Amino acid sequence: MKDIDEFLRENKPLVKDKPSFILETRQRLEAVEGIKAEVDRQRSHARIVLIVTLATGLAAGVLASALAFLFPVDAASLGEGLWKSFRLFLESWKHYLLLPVAAFAIILSLVLTSDRNKAL
Amino acid sequence: MTQERFISLVQSQQEPLRRFLLALCSGDASLADDIAQDALVRAYVASGSFLGLSKFSTWLFRIAYNCYIDHCRMASVEKASVDEALDLPSADASDASFRYQQLYQALDRIPEKEKAAIALFYFEDRSIKEISAILGIPSGTVKYHLSMGRTHLKQHIQL
Repeated sequence: MKDIDEFLRENKPLVKDKPSFILETRQRLEAVEGIKAEVDRQRSHARIVLIVTLATGLAAGVLASALAFLFPVDAASLGEGLWKSFRLFLESWKHYLLLPVAAFAIILSLVLTSDRNKAL
Repeated sequence: MTQERFISLVQSQQEPLRRFLLALCSGDASLADDIAQDALVRAYVASGSFLGLSKFSTWLFRIAYNCYIDHCRMASVEKASVDEALDLPSADASDASFRYQQLYQALDRIPEKEKAAIALFYFEDRSIKEISAILGIPSGTVKYHLSMGRTHLKQHIQL
């Protein structure tokens, strides 16, 4: 009676020769390379968008601050009335109003960037 | 690791890898090849993390084994009938057919760890240490699974 060890050693599973196996592997690896390249391209694009947005926000903030300091508002010269009051309000708070706009732009770009990465 | 380098390493390992998975899949060659392809893609994606601390084949077999385990967990595997899975040469088909049918049916009935230990030890001639690295279990546990696997196979194989 044959021993189980002998039986197992003598009956290794037979693998059918399949020349297309490596070819299929190569095709899959090519697909992986394509996906990798696309992910890298998207990441690079997102990084550029982020940097541009940050730079724009910073420039807008600097510009707003410069305008506020260079052209101080003479409140007395604006006179009376609703429209004038509104203008007075805008003139008085313009350097504070521009900052939220810039911040909003930055946050929007961050949200869009993170959504893009999630989709990948 | 470049794609060409990876392919050249895989070429020498594809037959043992497919045979190992064929044993794990109890003779279902189509499923074994699918899992092998998945394992190779995973290995290629992770090839940057291969530090060379073990042999490439050991690393590759470990990934393949994990793919097989994932496959078993994710899908309630519809195990192909052993008769369908057999793909044997025509020469002395009756004898060989009977032996392989017995083998695959027996492998189908034993636990995964035992099956993997048996396949690596007897079909791939791996050492206990290598099997330990591939399955991620201590050497003593490998010996235990081998012993239990032999015992269980004896119950299902007519020698």
